[in-house]
Amino acid sequence: MPLLAFVINFSIPAKWNKVSGWASTIAILISCVLSVFVFAKVWNSNHIVHQQQLWFTIGNTKIYTGILLNNLSVLMLLLVSLIAMPVHIYSTAYMKGDENLSRYFAYLSFFCFSMLALVVVDNLILFYIFWELVGFSSYLLIGFWFTRDKAVQANKKAFIMNRIGDIGLLTAIIILFSQYHTFDITQLFADKGLIAQSVIKNGLWVAPLGSLPSIWQYIACGGIFLAVAAKSAQFPLHTWLPDAMEGPTSVSALIHAATMVAAGVFLLGRVYPLFNGLELTILAIIGCFTAFMAATIALTQNDLKRILAYSTISQLGFMIMAMGIGAYASSLFHLVTHAFFKCLLFLVAGIVIHQMAHIKDDNAMDIDPQNINNMGGLRKKLPFTFIATVIGGLALIGLPLTSGYLSKDSILIQSFEWSEGRNGVFKLIPIFALLTTWLTAFYVTRLIVKVFFGELRMLHGKPDIKLHIKDGGWQYKLPLVLLAIGCLFPLFSVNPLLYEQAWLFKGFAINGGLEREDVYHTLIPAGVNILSIIVIYVAYTIYVKRKTNIFPQEGFLYRLSFKEWYFDKIYNKVIVKPVLTLSTASFWFDREVIDGFISLLVKTGIILSKLSAWVDHHIIDGFLNLLVAIVEAISNFARKFQGGKVQYYLFSMLVIILALFILKIVF
Amino acid sequence: MISLTDFLIVSAVLFCIGLYMIVSKHNAIQILIGIELMLNAAILNLVAFGKYDRFNNGGQMFALFAIVLAAATTAVALAIILNVYKQYKTIDPGKIDKLKD
Repeated sequence: MPLLAFVINFSIPAKWNKVSGWASTIAILISCVLSVFVFAKVWNSNHIVHQQQLWFTIGNTKIYTGILLNNLSVLMLLLVSLIAMPVHIYSTAYMKGDENLSRYFAYLSFFCFSMLALVVVDNLILFYIFWELVGFSSYLLIGFWFTRDKAVQANKKAFIMNRIGDIGLLTAIIILFSQYHTFDITQLFADKGLIAQSVIKNGLWVAPLGSLPSIWQYIACGGIFLAVAAKSAQFPLHTWLPDAMEGPTSVSALIHAATMVAAGVFLLGRVYPLFNGLELTILAIIGCFTAFMAATIALTQNDLKRILAYSTISQLGFMIMAMGIGAYASSLFHLVTHAFFKCLLFLVAGIVIHQMAHIKDDNAMDIDPQNINNMGGLRKKLPFTFIATVIGGLALIGLPLTSGYLSKDSILIQSFEWSEGRNGVFKLIPIFALLTTWLTAFYVTRLIVKVFFGELRMLHGKPDIKLHIKDGGWQYKLPLVLLAIGCLFPLFSVNPLLYEQAWLFKGFAINGGLEREDVYHTLIPAGVNILSIIVIYVAYTIYVKRKTNIFPQEGFLYRLSFKEWYFDKIYNKVIVKPVLTLSTASFWFDREVIDGFISLLVKTGIILSKLSAWVDHHIIDGFLNLLVAIVEAISNFARKFQGGKVQYYLFSMLVIILALFILKIVF
Repeated sequence: MISLTDFLIVSAVLFCIGLYMIVSKHNAIQILIGIELMLNAAILNLVAFGKYDRFNNGGQMFALFAIVLAAATTAVALAIILNVYKQYKTIDPGKIDKLKD
């Protein structure tokens, strides 16, 4: 359906902007309803819909294509369409007045189509195609305001980063194909599929159909990880996500918070059996590191959307870590809950930024509407938005009664269980995860307090400015309500405190026996939440009292965090500069050496041809001219006999007679 | 005593002069004179050889005949030259190379 909307939007002229928005929204609404039906039918029903037909044949290899609906894909299907629908409704209001509205909705529909297709395809090639399309439509949407230089830079960066990941995915697909001779996801990754039957022994990666050196298995995993890291913004490829916030906020909400970045985690879920113990540990470490790093960066950022972006990276890190420690179900659970609350937060941010921009335009002030240092006191002006933000923020922190609590605590508990019985280094992972949770609590509080409490700081010294901002119409409110409901616990679990009872969790629980067997299950949630509340309180008091300078603004740690751990600078130095230098050098080489060589060739050719022209002119033509001259001379000579000159006749007669006589005398 | 050889030499010289004039001169009348010289050389030969035919004087007779004939041909030739001049406004035989009317 979104594809249909995409086509419609491209074909209708720009002046019917309203129509295009509603066409997309209706399309996504229909797909939402359909996916609810599909979900209800497939979820936990043990019958996996898998339809396929022959696509093409290469040699003896038949490539099938089709759709695969199991628990994972129907969940993603439902999630994507459920998140996309409020965002579409929101966008009709948010983007109103933009002259390229139809283009915007065309891209948005295109993205939804690719994303929905991505989650249902059963074949790695198609998966790769839609993976690319998702990245491409994200590129288009980040650069939607292509007249802004920063947006263009940002979408270029996102595109290049994603490209690195795509190379990884492609490599992995090729390796898997050469090992198993199939692209079919079910055949590869099912319970008793080909991957489950293959083992690594004696340095060989033995599969039912053949074997390869085991290094290829690591490369394939590495490639998949690269793809996941690029799409889900994990260290070391995370830097594109904060920059991607240059796009419209509704896009950030849909793509860069809820759905597309989740595609990486989804991929991980699809190919999960491929990873073995060591690789999972690496995943866990990287996820944990990303989560921690992004949380520390989020502490000091001042741009509203950047804070949310780093918090997204941090939560994605959680998901990857959960995958790594084997908490497959928790990871997907967190993916779903995170999609709801992060989307909610982004939509709220969109409203706030929109209103700040209004104030800025009304009063012709020169401020950045996204800077939270300029905000404050919006609680009274935007009460509805405030409530939504609080719900989203609490879910993000993971306080009880919210969905975030269920998923986050399940990850934390399982990480503690995982680290038990391992040596000291692995114990750091759950500890860092805990730290990250508290950091999250801190920066969320800082965000909320700075935006909604106190007084509007941009008005310092200008008390006479009139403010007429409000929450906005139903197109703003309805999505917020929908998403806020999604953030609360009843949607996922009857019991607000025990994650094990969440139906979603049960849908993925592979190993079954989830007893509350040890102290972690009660100790951790309690400890985490009590500390979180303390942290929230501390942050609240700090920021409400406006002691903004309570932390040294010059310390090393502050700078490290504020400058985003210098990743951009390092990349700039380590990768961009050498590449630029290399390309300059190769340009020079091309210009000077190759072009020089070619021009040398050209000169030689010219000289040679001049030489041959001379030869042609003087020798060959000369020879011909000589022939001509001889012939002419002969003919001139002969012509004289026919010239009608009597005397000449006589003379020649005389000569001949004399010659005859001389001959007669001589012989 | 003038021998036959002397006559023949004079005759040959005359013939050669006439021949040279015919070949080299650009004037039809001079060519005609050359022809006359050659004719006279031939007549001189007739006369010189006629000395040895004492009974019939055939050589001399034939010389007289040839002189009359030469006069006739010269008259005809002069008439032709006159007509050629009328036609071409020149009497250089090298330039008269058209046979048309």
